[in-house]
Amino acid sequence: MNLITRMMTKSNMIYLGIAALLLILPFFLTGRSVQFMITQIFIFAIFAMSYDLLLGYTGIISFGHAMFFGIGAYTTAIFMDRFDANILGLVLAIGVAVLFAAIVSFIVGILTLRLKSHFYAMLTLAFAGLFLVAAEKWRDLTKGNDGFTFRIPEILRDSTVMYIVSLVCLVLIFFGLRRLTNSPFGRVLVAIRENESRTESLGYKVLHYKVLVSVVAGVVASFAGVLYMLSLRFVNTSVFHTDVTIDVLLMTIIGGVGTLVGPIIGAALIELAHHWISGLANVHWIFERWIILYGTVYILVVIFFPLGIVGTIRAKLSGRSKSNVLEKKRAS
Amino acid sequence: MNNLLKVSKVKANIQQFHILHDINFEVPIGEVTVLLGRNGAGKTTTLRTIMGLNPVHNGSILFKDEEIANLKPHLIANKGIGYVPEDQGIFEDLTVGENLRVAMKREDQETTERLDWILDLFPDLKKFWKKPGGQLSGGQKQMLAIARAYVNENDLLLIDEPSKGLAPIVVEKVMETILQMKEKTTILLVEQNFHMASKIGDRFYIIDDGQTVHNGLMEDLRQDKVLMKKYLGVS
Amino acid sequence: MDLIVTLGVNGLATGMLIFLLAAGLTLIFGLMSVLNFAHGGLFIWGAYAGVWIYTATNSFILAIILAILTGLVLGLVTERLIIRPVYGNHIQQILITLGFMLVLQELIKVVFGPDQKAVDPPAWLASSFQIGDVILIKYRLFIIIVGLLLFFTIFFLLKKTRIGLIVRAGVMNREMVQTLGINIRFVFMAVFMVGAALAALSGVLHAPYSGVIYAEMGLEFSILAFIVVVIGGMGSFTGSLFAALLVGLAQAFMAYYVPALSLAVNMLIMTIVLIFRPQGLFKVKG
Repeated sequence: MNLITRMMTKSNMIYLGIAALLLILPFFLTGRSVQFMITQIFIFAIFAMSYDLLLGYTGIISFGHAMFFGIGAYTTAIFMDRFDANILGLVLAIGVAVLFAAIVSFIVGILTLRLKSHFYAMLTLAFAGLFLVAAEKWRDLTKGNDGFTFRIPEILRDSTVMYIVSLVCLVLIFFGLRRLTNSPFGRVLVAIRENESRTESLGYKVLHYKVLVSVVAGVVASFAGVLYMLSLRFVNTSVFHTDVTIDVLLMTIIGGVGTLVGPIIGAALIELAHHWISGLANVHWIFERWIILYGTVYILVVIFFPLGIVGTIRAKLSGRSKSNVLEKKRAS
Repeated sequence: MNNLLKVSKVKANIQQFHILHDINFEVPIGEVTVLLGRNGAGKTTTLRTIMGLNPVHNGSILFKDEEIANLKPHLIANKGIGYVPEDQGIFEDLTVGENLRVAMKREDQETTERLDWILDLFPDLKKFWKKPGGQLSGGQKQMLAIARAYVNENDLLLIDEPSKGLAPIVVEKVMETILQMKEKTTILLVEQNFHMASKIGDRFYIIDDGQTVHNGLMEDLRQDKVLMKKYLGVS
Repeated sequence: MDLIVTLGVNGLATGMLIFLLAAGLTLIFGLMSVLNFAHGGLFIWGAYAGVWIYTATNSFILAIILAILTGLVLGLVTERLIIRPVYGNHIQQILITLGFMLVLQELIKVVFGPDQKAVDPPAWLASSFQIGDVILIKYRLFIIIVGLLLFFTIFFLLKKTRIGLIVRAGVMNREMVQTLGINIRFVFMAVFMVGAALAALSGVLHAPYSGVIYAEMGLEFSILAFIVVVIGGMGSFTGSLFAALLVGLAQAFMAYYVPALSLAVNMLIMTIVLIFRPQGLFKVKG
């Protein structure tokens, strides 16, 4: 036990060290666009960690995770647009976004998490689709497909400030979720992933745990949506698109499910792909179709390295073959 | 070629467990050979291994003097081996008739004759022809499973514990049928019910802890109380 | 009245196309318990391959043939490379087929170019009949007939032939079927190929119907197929027909009467079904 605690502190030190490095980075990298891109990575890392909570820790697939992201995004945008763009308004927006996301994820969870895995996937997909249509059609509020720009509190308009705020949020949420997944609650989630019926027979109310984790994931995702809006200051319906969910799925799987660090690395890789690889299109046409590369890597990861980058490295380092996360979860 | 099946020095593992260490036996044509032994001794695994459902790690299995070890199950079946698994393997949503039709590779005169013959033995199957297999009683399921293994022109039938879970009166009936089938085909039987085994078996092999430890004629075994007590717990 | 007939015919034609798409998916799920999110990728490949030869030769029959061939070949490849490593594991199936879906969709852009393509029905199906005040477009009737024919053919194959029995038995007890001398791997591969061919056929028939095809239809139609299969009851063949017709008709009528909601109609139906009857309209045992 002592050893484990020491290890933990050691890995925590490493993480904090990396965070500190990232914190001073903007003082050297003053280019707005670079800062903006790294900020985006932080935000998507938060979003992907919330997805990892579902897929990696509990074995739940969601096809509509974008809806929570979108809820956070639209709530912020609408509050900032309609009311004063000050900190108080922002706090209020965050509160409403979080509450709204919690309610929606609770409803979806309670309806389908007792059923087989694909039902949750399909109902989240349906809800996300309904939110997308609502965002397109309720033009008074959302201005439809074109979206709108809005003002945000003065202090957050500086790209360096936004960078630091996002980084701090990422670090806090990372340690918060790590604490959660290392707690008894987290261990029950893993037990559910490994063998749901056995966990149930041990006396755990599996449904309660699954609904609760889906609420936490929804809330964290909506918070990521809030940050996304603050960095972008423009909203349109694309935040509800299935593409957003697929991106976050790719991030989580490629980075490594059930690790929390994996999704952060995955987020960085996918965001870099968006920004840089597509820029190489004039070098070779294949770079414009980077999805093919990513899709192929993703398929290979699912078949051969179901633990993703981080999981595979960890398994190698620790020398023991960790239980194969996805293979274990047999849907029968 | 007196031996239809010759199993020698077979080793088989299921995952990390050694299940079969050293299995040796022969099945002469036209006889009923019985595999005896305690629960968990490896009898069912032996049948599954012959059928190709478990990999063979060592040794050989000759059927009609041809090596069949590690062939795919459907190829082994097509060489002329019928299989009645321990759980009968009835297709529960298919009717009795459909269960039989799945098995019938051809619908020629010979197959029809075999079908008619076996249905005469099991009139219940004819009666419940359109009933889903899952709704049959235990005994009827057993009969359906045996009939299904028989309808194709198989030279050897592997039957795994046909008496398991059946009422004594039903066991008698199953026994009678197997006795009748004995006239037409060679049978390798796994059976815990010694009464049944001794009535229909010609030869026996005792399997203990994954090895064939003893064999002989069934009539000799009936006399040998010591042996029976040692391996079978029958007194 | 005329309006209702016209909308009804439109709805039925849309529904039949959706049925062809969903039929392959529900067969694959019902018979092999495989969740294939790459189904829309097969659909869109059928559409593009068919349209390519249709544009080159002006023969719609050739287009249909090529689409079916494309479906068979892609089905073979998908089953071997993508599905075989993940039999029996739904979560991995969902993840891997979704990835393959994206690859198939992007490959369309590589092979056929990224732009959408306009497609017209063949001349012999382009005209329409007029009965009273009702105008019946030939191409829509053609789709309805093809859909019905395929429904009854597949229904007959499944229920009445030994092949159908083998497939159904293989789903219930794979091992047992093998010990009856049947190569179940081969049978499943064939089922998968047929399912893929149905998706591809749906794609090529859909092209002149919607008038335009584009690569992103792949994911859209994967999702649509799943919605329909969930509504009908996962694995229920008859259920997928009814669900597809329901969705088709609902789309047609909503588009006319409540256009604001027409985009959401599939999602709404599925949400209602998932809430009140999660096993789908046609429950399947097991």
